[in-house]
Amino acid sequence: MSDPLGIISNIQRASPALGGGGAPKGAPGDFREELLRQIGEVNKLQEDATVAAEDVLTGRRNDVEGVMLATRKADSAFRLLLAVRNKVMDAYDEVKQMRV
Amino acid sequence: MSGLLDVSVSALVAQRTRLDAIAANLASADIGGNPNGPVKPPSIREVLFATGDPANNSELGVHVADIREVRAFIPRYEPLNPYADADGRVWYPDINPVEQQVNMMLAARSYEANIAAIEATKSMTNSAMEILS
Repeated sequence: MSDPLGIISNIQRASPALGGGGAPKGAPGDFREELLRQIGEVNKLQEDATVAAEDVLTGRRNDVEGVMLATRKADSAFRLLLAVRNKVMDAYDEVKQMRV
Repeated sequence: MSGLLDVSVSALVAQRTRLDAIAANLASADIGGNPNGPVKPPSIREVLFATGDPANNSELGVHVADIREVRAFIPRYEPLNPYADADGRVWYPDINPVEQQVNMMLAARSYEANIAAIEATKSMTNSAMEILS
């Protein structure tokens, strides 16, 4: 009863999967699995952008446009993830305020 | 949305390559030589575009299909030049600086147009995200 929504135990189970973001384990359309997968995708885009920036600064590649594109994609993906996260937190706060 | 960005960026890369070729042409316009001798005059570089973007396996976008080397030369009578041939002629690449500069402007404007497309994509993405907040 201390964890009616399964949030705490889910977080504990979710932690090891954060880096991988592999195949969904739950049912199709499982929000938690989908969110974790998307976090993995966003993380990959961030890594791509970092590698691209390093490469252009160390002279391994010379297409500035590609680096800008990678940075832009990482930025957009992170913003979207942040927006989804804020929405989820809003919903959680809303539920928390409910009188039972 | 990111596919849109890929298309625009492929055009940016293509136009920059074109500008590279034009800069090389302008820079080498005054290098003389003898096409049949040891020191040859540089050839003119022409960038050929084609549809599709093999880097992203996309049908959209543009890529540089080939950089053609055109060997067209015009002679100047310079008998004292060590590169002159038997008739005292030194051969220079047949580069028209005015034509090259017009192409340069076209490349720069096209680059700007694609930057504008990227800006539009960016603002559309950001507007779409505001639906959520």
